[in-house]
Amino acid sequence: MRDLKGDNASWESYDQLLIATGASPISPDVPGADATDIFGVSTLESGLNIHRRLDKGGIKRAVVVGGGYIGLEMAEALVMRGLEVALIDRSAQVMGTLDEEMGALVSQALRDVGVTLYLAEELVEFETASGKVTGVVTDKRTLPADIVILGLGARPNTALAGAAGIPLGEKGSIRVNERMETGIAGIWAAGDCAESFHLVSRKPFYVALGTVANRQGRVAGINLGGGYATFPGVMGTAVTKICHVEVARTGLQEKEIEALGLEHVSAVIKSRTKAGYFPGAGEITVKVLAEKGSGRLLGGQIVGKEGSAKRIDTLATALHAGFTVEEMINLDLGYAPPFSPVWDPVVIAAREVAKKL
Amino acid sequence: MPTEKLIVIGGDAAGMSAASQAKRRRPDMEIVVFERGPHTSFSA
Ligand SMILES: Cc1cc2nc3c(=O)[nH]c(=O)nc-3n(C[C@H](O)[C@H](O)[C@H](O)COP(=O)(O)OP(=O)(O)OC[C@H]3O[C@@H](n4cnc5c(N)ncnc54)[C@H](O)[C@@H]3O)c2cc1C
Repeated sequence: MRDLKGDNASWESYDQLLIATGASPISPDVPGADATDIFGVSTLESGLNIHRRLDKGGIKRAVVVGGGYIGLEMAEALVMRGLEVALIDRSAQVMGTLDEEMGALVSQALRDVGVTLYLAEELVEFETASGKVTGVVTDKRTLPADIVILGLGARPNTALAGAAGIPLGEKGSIRVNERMETGIAGIWAAGDCAESFHLVSRKPFYVALGTVANRQGRVAGINLGGGYATFPGVMGTAVTKICHVEVARTGLQEKEIEALGLEHVSAVIKSRTKAGYFPGAGEITVKVLAEKGSGRLLGGQIVGKEGSAKRIDTLATALHAGFTVEEMINLDLGYAPPFSPVWDPVVIAAREVAKKL
Repeated sequence: MPTEKLIVIGGDAAGMSAASQAKRRRPDMEIVVFERGPHTSFSA
């Protein structure tokens, strides 16, 4: 252990060790990346650093690099603070965990709140003056920037673990068994530094989410406390929003299904978040994917107005249960006009998929 | 039996969830959490 103030190193002995070191934002390996006013967002402190910098003033133009959920949420926050916001992503869509047509809805939502998108553009370097960032150079243009926010994903903090000889897995995360024990007896791992298992693809999987960290931590803690608990795995369920548009996904997306060599059918439906005649009903788009033939549910995606995102939990639960889309049709879900149409939008989508099997 | 000692590196969602579960089950366990940042449990 090294003291953060001095550099006093000391040794602590243990009977059991839990590694819960989380993940760190990926910093791009391009010239100028170490300039000031380029911020990654990871901890509460890193968020406060951005807040303090904005409060200091002189910031008008922001560029967000990366269109994942952190990039989106930061774009929303900066728009709400009245900044001029541009977002770049090397891929042709934002929210790469969604299929193309669903990602396009999110792009539109960003444009609708005034974010300028530069998609399929690769970050080349940062322009700087006296060590401060002044612009973002892509392979197509230079965008002036007073502040840059990085949303390029996260990498597990496993350098220490790896150096100590603890076996690593997907994306360098710590390999664990169902009880969250690493390959070395007495050493456990949980959260963003640890590997997961994908319940639909049945393969090792890495995802950095607080939901998973809390569940894995609970399981590790029960086992460390002498109990017995297992962590079955994850399905990549996640929700976010950009201003008034909610975004949700679970399970496998098209490219993951194709990579597994499975044949699938899908349907995209538009419905309303409440009965169509009910005040405040908003549009909701749902995509459901199922295995061709068997009808086994493989994944789902939702983009829509308030009341949309948490409907993903119905799909996630059905996915956990191994339901087919036909089995979803008779789910006894709640209905009253303020909450949903008579057929919930996720069930409407399941019905459409069932017709195509 | 001597008290068992658990060391946790990282005091956020995963680390603190685990520490609290372990302590609930084994109040006698000595648990030390190392956190390099100024906050704990900000996403737990
Ligand atoms: C901007 C943002 C928004 C997010 N929103 C969501 C959301 O809406 N939903 C969701 O599910 N997830 C969300 N997440 C992800 C979620 O925050 C993480 O998955 C979660 O914090 C992981 O918990 P953890 O305990 O594994 O790791 P962390 O929260 O990263 O905690 C690890 C801790 O370990 C400490 N540490 C690391 N190395 C050492 C060391 N060598 N010595 C001492 N201490 C060390 C770190 O300082 C840190 O406090 C978000 C993340 C970000 C960045």
